[in-house]
Amino acid sequence: MSDSDNKGLSRRQFIGTAGGVLGAAAAGAYVFNQMDFNKPPISNDTPLPPSTFSVKHIESDVLVIGSGMAGLFAAVKAHDAGAKVTMVSKGRLGSSGLTPFAKGIFSYDKNTSNMSIDQFVAKVSESAIQSNNPVFTRQLAEHSKARVEELKEWGFFDSPLYNESFSRPINERAIPLHQRVMITHLIKENGRVVGASGFSLDKPNLIHFKAKTVVLCSGSGGFKPSGFPVCDLTHDGTIMAYKIGAKVTGKEWNDGHPGSAKNSGSSYDNWHGQVEEKPSITGADIHHDLGVDINYQAYKIGPPITMGPPMGPPGKNSQQQAQMAQAKGGPFVPAAFRQRSAPPPPPPQKEGGILALFSGKKPGGGPPPGMGGEQVGGSSAGMAIHKSEGLTPINETGLSTIPGLYAAGDALGSHMSGGIYAQIGSSLAGSAVQGAIAGEAAAQASQNTPSVSVNADRLREIEQEIFAPLKRKRGYSPAWVTQVLQGIMIPNFVLYIKKERLLQAALAYVEELKEHHVPMLIANDLHKLRLAHETENMIITAEMKLKASIMRKESRCSHYRLDYPEIDHKNWQAWINIYQDENGNMAFEKQPFGSWAKAIS
Amino acid sequence: MPIHQISGCIGCNACIESCPTDVIKLDEATQKAVIKYPEDCQICHLCRLYCPVGAITITPEKSIPVMVSWR
Repeated sequence: MSDSDNKGLSRRQFIGTAGGVLGAAAAGAYVFNQMDFNKPPISNDTPLPPSTFSVKHIESDVLVIGSGMAGLFAAVKAHDAGAKVTMVSKGRLGSSGLTPFAKGIFSYDKNTSNMSIDQFVAKVSESAIQSNNPVFTRQLAEHSKARVEELKEWGFFDSPLYNESFSRPINERAIPLHQRVMITHLIKENGRVVGASGFSLDKPNLIHFKAKTVVLCSGSGGFKPSGFPVCDLTHDGTIMAYKIGAKVTGKEWNDGHPGSAKNSGSSYDNWHGQVEEKPSITGADIHHDLGVDINYQAYKIGPPITMGPPMGPPGKNSQQQAQMAQAKGGPFVPAAFRQRSAPPPPPPQKEGGILALFSGKKPGGGPPPGMGGEQVGGSSAGMAIHKSEGLTPINETGLSTIPGLYAAGDALGSHMSGGIYAQIGSSLAGSAVQGAIAGEAAAQASQNTPSVSVNADRLREIEQEIFAPLKRKRGYSPAWVTQVLQGIMIPNFVLYIKKERLLQAALAYVEELKEHHVPMLIANDLHKLRLAHETENMIITAEMKLKASIMRKESRCSHYRLDYPEIDHKNWQAWINIYQDENGNMAFEKQPFGSWAKAIS
Repeated sequence: MPIHQISGCIGCNACIESCPTDVIKLDEATQKAVIKYPEDCQICHLCRLYCPVGAITITPEKSIPVMVSWR
């Protein structure tokens, strides 16, 4: 926050009130009132009555939800496999979600790599402490080069902006594309998915999409944190799938990107303007890039925390190494990945561990994203490790536990590299690879599916649920509820350095928001209607993250429990699945590493 | 301020479409883009980069306080 914006509330006062979970929540509310923005109305005098909405119906074989890297390939490959495809996106093709900011794409070439695919998979598993699904790790290596070659043909590497190159294959195939439409519901009939519903952000239009199969490419999400370009992603796909009975996974992992202490709300500045660079290809070098080690250092020794090159000059520790030494202990790093003991030390400008995950170095030798200077945590709060959270797959195509419903990219809990970052650039490549496979599988499944029907009464119910925040005469503004949620979840001692008592305390707050505030969210225009639905999705995600974190009584990869700091190989060689039980309650189960979940019949 | 000013807008909609967080809307009367929800700007600069006439200026400060994990 800049001093000039912080009207009437000194920095010291703000930090003082944020000293506990109770204080943190109160701080969110207090600061919000001070700022007097958005002016939460006492009554919701809506200028947008639901009666003004038009209702449209669109039918296809395969519905692709999301238009980032996974959605692009899902739509293209489903079309090429003979399906009639429709694509719908909350944003714009190649210009929303995390895709526009990912500038490195991993490509494995077995002819030039110094490691075989078997060696590659084994090394990723070692880094992931077995938390990866080796089927998806192998798939990434096997298919990444072919996807990168297709991207080259479409002109992907020729521009820093992706809309034009993404539009080329979509336009060539004349795939209908509905942009700026927020999907809020998946529709299920007789146990299988049959479509999705949502509304336009530009006009009062409600759209029901009917489809034989659906591919969720809706990305992951966060709590609209500061300094990371994830504020349009709120786990929408995961939560709407959870609501129709799908199992979801990976919620205990944490992306640990810190942000710059200066202008910490600017994702552009945090990433050193990287969005203006053309993308490039990254190689198969394997890491164990934690991120939460920085959170641990901040917790133990207190700010200021700085980040610089991981290695100091020969014979001398870097500042980061000095911080690590002072903090003592913290998240476990497998022996083969301990940078301090890994000779020879990399030159400082080459690769930045966690901070360079989306790309290599900045051209011209500048620091990669986030590197340099004082750092603050929570820049990507609410997001787990890429590819580790989302729908639980039942096989290698990304089919979920719901028949007809596929997911790919960050919407799929593939655990491609488990609860840790193992390569630079694999996030973007993994989305391309998984999107292509899911799209093709969905097209084939559609061919074997006779026409599906949608219950008109169910559509009316969905419409009422979409409109609900517009119809409430009074209630809570989504912006205020979001800021309270951030105050509860983002402090280092809740989301990152976990312990039972604080997780339970935060859970009490989050359950209050879910039970009492979500049913009273209000909106008086399409923008706020979007915020209202996003806020609900973030709150359910927070509940999942807290409960999964309480359940996993060990520390492994990016999940760190101060009260259970060791790896528990006996009890926790398992992922956590989250689902709704028959009473609608949030239920949890362990799924052993190396096994597949079963479809829900 | 985050997205600070739109000056010289030609009403092409590129910024509106490319804003991930729906900050910018088209003014129906003037047919020009207006900054409607600056508090939701994530300061990612996509609008500025997609604008064909360089009409958009952005500053690095959020218009609302930010919550971070420590300070």
